[in-house]
Amino acid sequence: MIRFEKVVKKYNYQDKAAVDNLDLHINKGEICMLVGPSGCGKTTTMKMINKLIKATTGKIYINEMDIEKVDPIKLRLDIGYVIQDTGLFPHMTIAENIATVPMEKGWDRNKIRHRVDELLELMELDPEIYRDKKPKDLSGGQRQRVGVARALAADPPIMLMDEPFGALDPITRGKLQDEFLRLQEKIGKTIVFVTHDMDEAIKMGDKIAVMRDGKLVQFGTPNEILSNPADEFVSELIGGNGSLKIMNLIKCKDIMRSIPNIDVDNSVDEAMKLLLKLGVRNILVTDKGQGLLGYVNYDSLANHKATLKELLKPIGETVTPKTTLQDTLSKMFSLGRKTVFVSGSRGRVDGIITMDDLLKAVSDNDQSSDIIA
Amino acid sequence: MTKAQTSSLRLRDVLSILFIISIGVAFSIYVVQYPQDRIVERFISYSKIINAILQHLYIVAISSALALLTSVPLGIILTRPRFKKYSTKVLTVVNIGQTIPSLAIVALFVGFLGIGSKTAILALWIYSLLPILNNTLVGILSVEPSVIEAARGMGMPTKRILYKIELPLALPIIIAGIRTAVTINIGTAILAAFVGGGGLGDLIISGNNVSRWQILMLGATLPALMAILADIVFGVVERRTII
Repeated sequence: MIRFEKVVKKYNYQDKAAVDNLDLHINKGEICMLVGPSGCGKTTTMKMINKLIKATTGKIYINEMDIEKVDPIKLRLDIGYVIQDTGLFPHMTIAENIATVPMEKGWDRNKIRHRVDELLELMELDPEIYRDKKPKDLSGGQRQRVGVARALAADPPIMLMDEPFGALDPITRGKLQDEFLRLQEKIGKTIVFVTHDMDEAIKMGDKIAVMRDGKLVQFGTPNEILSNPADEFVSELIGGNGSLKIMNLIKCKDIMRSIPNIDVDNSVDEAMKLLLKLGVRNILVTDKGQGLLGYVNYDSLANHKATLKELLKPIGETVTPKTTLQDTLSKMFSLGRKTVFVSGSRGRVDGIITMDDLLKAVSDNDQSSDIIA
Repeated sequence: MTKAQTSSLRLRDVLSILFIISIGVAFSIYVVQYPQDRIVERFISYSKIINAILQHLYIVAISSALALLTSVPLGIILTRPRFKKYSTKVLTVVNIGQTIPSLAIVALFVGFLGIGSKTAILALWIYSLLPILNNTLVGILSVEPSVIEAARGMGMPTKRILYKIELPLALPIIIAGIRTAVTINIGTAILAAFVGGGGLGDLIISGNNVSRWQILMLGATLPALMAILADIVFGVVERRTII
């Protein structure tokens, strides 16, 4: 979708190139994170895509079309643009702000009004309340949402986002990141996202391009970068706890194990036999009439001579298949348990994850990234 | 600002405007109806006062309008990237113009324009360039760079950015400049009388010549009241353009 070919940007007042011989290919529908310290050339790289900055040499292609041949105004009208300070027009209402690009494109009034309301709803802002407000009446998070809505207004296939959540407090930032990821699942835009925050890059990116001194240091999926940092610099950006960060990428459904079940009428001995046969330590106990009752584990069966019903333990709080391993771990800590059940829908258990599974997933990942993929 | 605040402000402004007008009218009536003596009676009449006020307003209006029509475009040009580097130089030159005493400027222009209101208008024009130019520059340059960047990044052409973003956002500051210029001009326009341009300065000169305080005071008070009036009116306009 977007392709950089040997792109160089040199400013007159600098000896070193701001962007040095960059080759980069961003696929359609992917979020590509440009990450690196200040002055690494990530913002310059992004701004060359919509020609806010002109490349000194090299070519940039969008859909195999050399952007040098495209009129900058036309090019920009088809590329969403979100910046850190939102850049909302303070003298215009929220609706007028969002309508900027449709107005420039000469859309029909009714169509614009419709689109504005649709976008406000998409951003979970009630059009009745927010349509006619001015940007100063909104909170930072709301303003940034309007910024994203404005960029999406004319439904551009490409979005450029320059540290859009950088100025927000951590809680709002996390919330907006989650919201945006959910939104992206629906809209599937090709997104170039600039950040200096490696954690954000790992969380948001389908691909991460790590840059330093205008050069591309490493390009790959978050997983590849976490498990195989190209050099010292990338490791340093990731920080000391790369393994912990990997836990943020893996979902429960990737490592959970299935769990057998047994009817409550069976004896303890029969349950024990089944456990040994399957080589597992836990088993769900069900009842034909009432469905899932609870579970029993190897230790309780070995120590007691009682009925299954007496040994039953409640399932307790569960995690969902989409929960990250990090959240699962913190759930285990807060529950004070070494096992937790995975439940996709109410009253059903899809699998089980133990502390050992978590350890294994993370340590495996350190050696090779194939396991998760 | 909430609605209640704006409306109460408006009421206060209306009351002060009425108050100032009534002082001026009352003083004029007093001077005309109860002249000190025959000399004053001969010099002052309602039509003379109204004529002087109209002349005064004419000089101020033309000179201020000229200043507006030159300063704002000049200010816009000086904020364009290509000419930005000249902005401080131009400001310095205009600043120097401002430091020359107004009477000197008026006298200077008599040299090649002769006497009459034209000379006064030209002098006042030069005098009011600075506040408007300065505020146009400051107003446009103080627009958040991120706002301009966003507009550019979304595909707004440069001209539309100027009309839709920069000028509306700079408007309150530009109007503040016009407010300063007009207020100063109303006071300075008294000097027009010294070059035969007429206006309320005539009353001061006549009052001085015939040593009658009533005439002199009228010539001094009316421009002062008009200046205060202009200040209030433009203040209201300025506030209404602030977002």
